[in-house]
Amino acid sequence: MSEYSAIGKAIPRIDALEKITGQAIYGDDLKFPNMLYAKALRSEYAHARILNINIEKAKKLSGVKAVVTGKDTPFLGGEALMDYPFLAIDKVRYVGEAIAAVAAVDEETAEEAIELIEVEYDPLHVLLDPQKAMELGAPLIHEKMHTYQRLAVIKPIENTNICHVLQFLKGDVNHGFDESDFFFEDTFTTQMVQHGAIEPHMAIAQVDPSGKITVWVTNDSPHRLRQDLSSSMGIPLKKLRVISPPYVGGNFGGKGGLKVETLCIPLALKTDHKPVKMVLTREEVFTSSLVRHPGIVTLRTGVKKDGRIWAREAKVIYDTGAYAEKGPTVCHQACVAAVGPYKIPNVKVDGYCVYTNKPIAGAYRGYGIPQVAWAHESQMDIIARQLGIDPVQIRLKNGVEEGDVSPTGQQKLNSVGLKECIKKVAESVDWSRPKEKYRGQGIACAFKNTKTPSGSSAIVIVSQDGTVEVLASTVEIGQGSKTILAQMVAEELGVPVENIIMAIPDTDITPFDASTTSSRSTFHMGNAVKKAAKDAKDQILVIAADMLNADSSDLMIERGLIFSKKNPSKKLTISQVIKNEYKAGLDIIGRNSFYPVADGETGGMWSAPSIFWMYGAHYAEVEVDIETGRVKILKVVGAHDVGKAINPFTCLGQIEGGMVHGIGPALFEEMIIGERGQVENTSFLDYKMPRSLDIPEITSIIVEAHHREGPWGAKGIGEMTVVPMAAAIANAIDDAVGVRIKDLPITPDKILRVLKEKGNP
Amino acid sequence: MEHLINLRINGEPYEVRIKPNTTLVDFLRDKIGLTGTKKGCDTGQCGACTVLLDGKPINSCLVLAADTNGKEILTVEGLGRDGKLHPLQETFMQEGAVQCGYCTSGMLLSAKALLDENPSPGEEEVKKAIAGNLCRCTGYVRIVKAVLVAARKMGG
Repeated sequence: MSEYSAIGKAIPRIDALEKITGQAIYGDDLKFPNMLYAKALRSEYAHARILNINIEKAKKLSGVKAVVTGKDTPFLGGEALMDYPFLAIDKVRYVGEAIAAVAAVDEETAEEAIELIEVEYDPLHVLLDPQKAMELGAPLIHEKMHTYQRLAVIKPIENTNICHVLQFLKGDVNHGFDESDFFFEDTFTTQMVQHGAIEPHMAIAQVDPSGKITVWVTNDSPHRLRQDLSSSMGIPLKKLRVISPPYVGGNFGGKGGLKVETLCIPLALKTDHKPVKMVLTREEVFTSSLVRHPGIVTLRTGVKKDGRIWAREAKVIYDTGAYAEKGPTVCHQACVAAVGPYKIPNVKVDGYCVYTNKPIAGAYRGYGIPQVAWAHESQMDIIARQLGIDPVQIRLKNGVEEGDVSPTGQQKLNSVGLKECIKKVAESVDWSRPKEKYRGQGIACAFKNTKTPSGSSAIVIVSQDGTVEVLASTVEIGQGSKTILAQMVAEELGVPVENIIMAIPDTDITPFDASTTSSRSTFHMGNAVKKAAKDAKDQILVIAADMLNADSSDLMIERGLIFSKKNPSKKLTISQVIKNEYKAGLDIIGRNSFYPVADGETGGMWSAPSIFWMYGAHYAEVEVDIETGRVKILKVVGAHDVGKAINPFTCLGQIEGGMVHGIGPALFEEMIIGERGQVENTSFLDYKMPRSLDIPEITSIIVEAHHREGPWGAKGIGEMTVVPMAAAIANAIDDAVGVRIKDLPITPDKILRVLKEKGNP
Repeated sequence: MEHLINLRINGEPYEVRIKPNTTLVDFLRDKIGLTGTKKGCDTGQCGACTVLLDGKPINSCLVLAADTNGKEILTVEGLGRDGKLHPLQETFMQEGAVQCGYCTSGMLLSAKALLDENPSPGEEEVKKAIAGNLCRCTGYVRIVKAVLVAARKMGG
């Protein structure tokens, strides 16, 4: 019954063949003539002044071609707040910070040279607790914070370690508390976790004789990286080229921003045009790439006796580590969603993004929202239990609907599939069945915004034989963007998906795209390629109209054949049309851009109103062993509102993968920080991620609440799929054994401790 | 001091000189040019570099190439034969078992070793066979299913 030829189809991914045959090329597979290999010397101190760095012995080692320190890199970069030195300048702020880098003929020589570098430190007071770090009078991690360039929306507090503070107000929260029948106050915390992409970060930098720098890098956003490098190094965009490897082996937010290229570029500037390659070790990925913000979220909530949430105040403290990275905007976006996807008349949210001497926290699948969802969804069940209301019913009673004002009051919501997600999840399981001993069921829901405004451009080139090449800078990080963008172009142009080639992102070739983040590619780049394909189609139809003696508005293209609706028997191929018009050869080039701005109160980029919101609900069923405190997850279900599934196959894969990803931080993943600020568990042996034996029975469900501006109604999905998992599991554990854990991860010892307090075994 | 070793990789004989401290994964990737075998941790904990050594799955980052003299290695590039995909490759594609693809080579080889030993495994046996292979994208669901479907197709 499908009205579509290419979208909405569960086709296999177009990149699968390359990947299953081992032919797909990733960053570490790139090798160039005369390539040099780089290693970094990293700080052993979490906070110290650098008194002296002696690189003389390292420079003299045979095979060493360049050694650089902070003296060679007087640059500060960073997306939200420009505080990030390529190499430490004057002081170090976390264990693992790069102090010097070496390029040599091979990795072994580079490592040997690193050992020869001597650093004299003067240790400073180490701040590991964000609540202590944000106190007035705390030692400053960034003494010159007030001088850093920043986005308009970012508000640092001078002479503190708070790099961003924000507030949202709606109604009158104190009045709302007065009018409430019940009052709840709980604090929920989350631990430091890491993205865990299996491919480590890498970069190769090369400088040509004109001084132009080319970087091949596992980054989720080539154009943004080029802009970041340009602004921090003070060189024009034309002197920078960022190329994505054909494939990136997982991202989850961990491969955005300035990373390995900040070491390769300074080295490449000193190596006579030889390319410099660096691949992080797994230990370096743990200590020196990026983590998810540890969060402290306090919710004060007033509830009417019928279960209506009447007032909610949230205090959100995000520990962003040594540098701001995307921390301030992570905190900001999270605060917009901190009170949950509910109709609450009185809201107050206070957010603080705080520096500590720990690994740098930034974007992580969900962009701060997993931490606040953990809080509001855990408290939702605490409220439901006390009021004797079913957890599904209390969410349906309060949940937002089409046309409602967003919880922090900036905008009216459109395309709201929240309640359908909750209902679909509850219907798919035996929700109200009698309770079995030590077994429990839990549900949680959430919503997530996308960064707004942001833009995408695309070019669609139709060649003479009907081959279509799409120039788009969305990076294939595993999410399936190549496949769904090809499906959208095929649909719009009326050609088979097999005719489409997706170009590899390259800032010299593929046009601007803000980023492959924020679950924005389907919506933003989807619209851009759709509009560019339409532009190409219109040009083809104008030529065809002449050839068919028809009006171009009566023409259509199906399976690559052009015909008039009025006289469908006479058909032309796209190839015939192009060749007829341009006998000596030419391409038809369609181009367009998409730059949506959300309605509502805005304070500029990243402020609050979002062009779309994603909604989802998760269910978990657990069994708790009260002897050991161990939790066995028996079953999980996830329903997600994607607007329109361009490829149901890849949507379901995202939901399954996201739910399992969410189980790790819920139950066992945690980066342990030692007294000196060092990461204690820097391997997959000591940092446990879900393995095949950890997975329960899994059901994934697609909900489609059409978005009026989405391509064919589509929105996004990638990040939402992890968001409600932790709270759904915690709620199931509470249902099973009456234990409410408020600090992640929910380890057996925490459960046993509470069971003991309650007088169980 | 380099060692001279003789081995077969994907059915082809090789006679190569290598340094005694070169790991099998670096040897395959850098010396032979078979980059389908991936490096995720270099410490035997992620399984991305899994290859078959005389039919048994091993982490090629933990094996010295010098110790593979006289042995038979199978990498992802050798899974298909005569231009035809291995049934596991087909089902990985059809069942959606591939996302970023970085774990895929290792997964395929762990799964092949299982099916060679046990042509009709149950779900738990499949999960055990790939327990050493980390995947952050898929949640393993479709990988497990792809292995089970391949087993059925192969007549197990």
